[in-house]
Amino acid sequence: MVETRIPPDPIELAIFQSAMHSIAEEMGAALRRTSISPNIKERRDYSCAIFDAERRVIAMGDHMPVHLGSMPMSVRAAVEQLPLQRGDMAILNDPYAGGTHLPDITMILPVFIEMQAKPFFFVASRAHHADVGGTFAGSMGPGREIFQEGIRIPPIRIMRAGEIDQEVLSIILHNVRTPVEREGDLAAQMGACQLGERRLFDIVHKYGLQRIAALTEDLIEYSERLMRAELHKFPAGTFCAEDFLDDDGVGPEPLRISVSIHFEPEAGAVAIDFAGSSPQVAGSVNAVYAITYSACFYVLRCLLAEDAPATAGLMNPVTILAPNASLVNASPPAAVAGGNVETSQRIVDVLLLALAQSVPDRVPAASSGTMSNLTIGGFDPRTKQPFTYYETTAGGMGARPGMDGISGTHCHMTNSLNTPIEALEYAYPFRVRSYAYRKNSGGAGRFSGGDGLIREIELLTESQVTLICERRRFQPYGLLGGSPGASGRTVLFKNGDSPTELPSKCTVHAAAGDVIRLETPGGGGWGKL
Amino acid sequence: MRIAIDTGGTFTDCVYFEDGQLQVLKVFSTPADPGLAVLEGLSRIRVPGHVLVRHGTTVGTNAMIERKGARVAFVTTAGFEDTIVIGRQARARLYDWFQPVPECLVPPELRLGIDERTGSEGQMLRSPTRAALASLADLISTSGAEAIAISLLFSFANAANETVVAEALGSLKLPISISHRILPEFREYERASTVVANAYLSQVAGGYIERLAAKIGQQYEGTVEVMQSSGGIVPARLAAEEPVRTLLSGPAGGVMGAYQFAKLAGFDHIVSFDMGGTSTDVCLVDAQLGGPHLTNESTVSGVPISIPMLDIHIAGAGGGSLARFDSGGLLRVGPESAGAIPGPICFGRGTLPTVTDANLILGRIESGTFLGGALRLDEQRTLNFMEQAKGNISSVEEFAAGILRLVEASMEKAIRVISIERGYDPRDFTLVAFGGGGPLHACSLAHALRISRVLVPPLPGALSAVGILFADAVRDFSRTVMFASDDDPAIVFLELEERGRTEFKAQGLSGTSLRSVDMRYKGQGYELNVPYGEDMVLKFHDQHRRRYGFANERRAVEIVNLRVRMISKAEPLSPPREALRVGDGSQAVIGDRLVYFNGQRCKTRIYDRQALRPGDSFSGPAIVTEYSSATVLPASDTLGVDSLNNLIIEVH
Repeated sequence: MVETRIPPDPIELAIFQSAMHSIAEEMGAALRRTSISPNIKERRDYSCAIFDAERRVIAMGDHMPVHLGSMPMSVRAAVEQLPLQRGDMAILNDPYAGGTHLPDITMILPVFIEMQAKPFFFVASRAHHADVGGTFAGSMGPGREIFQEGIRIPPIRIMRAGEIDQEVLSIILHNVRTPVEREGDLAAQMGACQLGERRLFDIVHKYGLQRIAALTEDLIEYSERLMRAELHKFPAGTFCAEDFLDDDGVGPEPLRISVSIHFEPEAGAVAIDFAGSSPQVAGSVNAVYAITYSACFYVLRCLLAEDAPATAGLMNPVTILAPNASLVNASPPAAVAGGNVETSQRIVDVLLLALAQSVPDRVPAASSGTMSNLTIGGFDPRTKQPFTYYETTAGGMGARPGMDGISGTHCHMTNSLNTPIEALEYAYPFRVRSYAYRKNSGGAGRFSGGDGLIREIELLTESQVTLICERRRFQPYGLLGGSPGASGRTVLFKNGDSPTELPSKCTVHAAAGDVIRLETPGGGGWGKL
Repeated sequence: MRIAIDTGGTFTDCVYFEDGQLQVLKVFSTPADPGLAVLEGLSRIRVPGHVLVRHGTTVGTNAMIERKGARVAFVTTAGFEDTIVIGRQARARLYDWFQPVPECLVPPELRLGIDERTGSEGQMLRSPTRAALASLADLISTSGAEAIAISLLFSFANAANETVVAEALGSLKLPISISHRILPEFREYERASTVVANAYLSQVAGGYIERLAAKIGQQYEGTVEVMQSSGGIVPARLAAEEPVRTLLSGPAGGVMGAYQFAKLAGFDHIVSFDMGGTSTDVCLVDAQLGGPHLTNESTVSGVPISIPMLDIHIAGAGGGSLARFDSGGLLRVGPESAGAIPGPICFGRGTLPTVTDANLILGRIESGTFLGGALRLDEQRTLNFMEQAKGNISSVEEFAAGILRLVEASMEKAIRVISIERGYDPRDFTLVAFGGGGPLHACSLAHALRISRVLVPPLPGALSAVGILFADAVRDFSRTVMFASDDDPAIVFLELEERGRTEFKAQGLSGTSLRSVDMRYKGQGYELNVPYGEDMVLKFHDQHRRRYGFANERRAVEIVNLRVRMISKAEPLSPPREALRVGDGSQAVIGDRLVYFNGQRCKTRIYDRQALRPGDSFSGPAIVTEYSSATVLPASDTLGVDSLNNLIIEVH
């Protein structure tokens, strides 16, 4: 069956889609330029989106893939749990009520048109905050329950009748390490939502509500049609795969993620089931359902040839099942800080491995599969101030059918930038000794996987070093006979010598003069040599 | 005699003053050796002795796009050899598993390290040994390298090691680009990338400029100057040494030309809108802030370039942009372009609809007047192919109108990026339209952005050359200092100015210095540039509020970079003003035709721009045609000709 219906007006709809997308992009630009912390400004860890009255996403900026599918869940949680009135704005970060992990704070603004009783749109902004309290500076540590990971904000109103609720703000700011920076970043998120609201008023003025409602339906149908057109091309059948996380940082057991993907090309539909995945664990690598959903959304969007708008329609032909209280659908009070950054990547790996059985010529081998999260905290003797540094380090991209993988680049669920070495040494008591390709770490094959990176940092003062890393034991797989990428490792050189290899997830105390050497995994190879 | 010669894709434009009139000569470009067209232009103008040629060149840009530069050896601190290719470790496209491996300008075997280190405060931690320097020189001499780029960590804070390395490699007689000379600023990747680009262009662009200057010197006792991406002029010798500064030579000329005409016409806030065949350049200019916005975060052909350039935003849509339906049935225009070959349908070879074809179908351009009739446009052929391509759309006209609406939507987006997203309201600006396509789309774009005025300068198809003719000589110097806001930067400023004065003196020029500082709140990742002075901290807060919506006067502010811009005003040239006399332009009417506006064909008068006189004024619907462009005036708008022969359109 081939879909033949074309949209009522392919020109009008194209312009509407572009206008909506540019509002989301503009919100993102505003958020980035008004925020304070480098994590938002330099690394660009944020997303903005627009939803219709039914809370379906109709536009999302090209921001962070890991936020793709999870933003609608934030809106749903806010609407279901709060009586949102005109002038109210909701805030949340609770992974168990519309969030992903605690550092990601989402704000939701209902947009009321004229005197209508119900919101006609919702706009939302999400940003990764550099610290939301908890046991570990930077709030990205190996916690054992969510209570150690920082302040947990259920959907509540941070703004009522157009005024910021200072009491709510105050309790948040009292629970984080860097309140001035947080306040600035939260203000930036509110500003981005309000900008989105103003621009939507303009659109309503231009089109009128009826036409917008019609165009919104057309847009969602259009996205759905793009996805179904793609799914028609897949061979029918069920394809299964599994891959493992090394451990949860508490016990040594590997953690399984299993998936079966069932294609129904005639209906243009796909069902994804994660049955068989490990139960949730004591460490912080649990992913809430929103993360799993986002990973699926990401993979499907990459399969589309077109530059498809990320609307709710794309996911209409897709069903996703994930067992309750599992690694891929965690329940409270599981710790989740690492689920967002590590497990999300492994979910993508597993999906690609299953897809490779169905369409081998369209799927890359495994990429590094970890964001190699490194947090260093301490007291800077130069400024006499505490410091917290957090950064992710890229690895190798998996080889593609017909092309080598790219070396030293962020893949899949993240795309944040690095901090320049000259900015880093100026801001923190570190000296970088090396930042280089990790030669021959990419898997060999007809096409080779990209190489990982080596980053060596000398600590100039005593510091607490926290790692959340993966792919130490289970290497990034190759495809069609390609070799796997080299696994990653982290080495601590005490006093510059006597190397100790550190576990993938840990917190250690280091002295001045110690050197941390991070070697990130390479990508898998593709095809026999 | 001063002549500006700007190399374009099809034509090389020569602009000069003769008898008080601005003259333009177009000769066909000679892509294999662009200098041939320059020399042909000069011989056809029959210049007297002592000519001053000011050149806008695309040689550098083309070398970057085609990746046809020198084989560069990159020398950096050992342990950091790969940073030139790691970049910022982000991928170019989020949702594309098959994006190409980015091509680095430096081949892997020429990414070389030297054991040395400078600390973040400029402290010397390790100097390179003599033995290491000697073996580095040996390695490069046998490597087949054609140029050298040196960028060591923290060289902006202490240049000693970089100087030693440069001296050791001097005997190789290769062009050397040194980071603390070209861009003494922090952020190692962007600095190295800029320095590598300079080395990469040293032979192709640097050599081209040298040869051209030598020929013009011999044949005309002439001197040559080159337009820089920053909108200022430098002598050929300096341009040849630092060709990276000429990458956006032509587009910068266009913005400066637009700014000149608008300023003379009394408008000092403009958005320049230059639409060509494959792309559209837009730039925001605010005279109160010293003119066109500058940026040091440009990317040319995927390579970050951090020297100051005009902040020109490029939209991937132009006259040649292709229209197609995607697999979901939506109409899309660009970024794919028909290019010169096969080109639009109406040029006779292409078979896929483009923006130019849509303009032809709707009667906005026509065969008789397009490039003075030099290129015949095949209307029937266009109709046939457009009919086949229009899908379920009711008529070819509606299809064509849809293509224009979509291409205008992407231009609207580009203008929003440079205005609204940076804290400016486009309604406060005049839209200055030029390039072949700018005047065709300007009014409708102004309507969409609620801009109330459009200006089409004279010679809109050769405005880059005009801007180059008028530009001032400019040299930019900078250094990262990381000062507190109350440190005294006087000594560093004086050093930078001394360098500028010496260079100007060599040309017999004297210049004035504009000092500015890049500041930020301590700990921020981005800087804002404000003029240096007593009130700079206040100004910083103000500008932060304007651009970013808030300021925090209690927060510590730091000075990241010091900047000196040395300017030597060009001998003033200004286009003559003519007296205004009331008229309706009827003497310029050359006919009428049916042009498609808002869903129907309207009888529309066609005016010949050459026959319009200052003081003429009329309402739309009308089309003003000229050699390289056409201005579309919708029924709602009114056009007047000012004393400089600008078309000034009031948009309602």
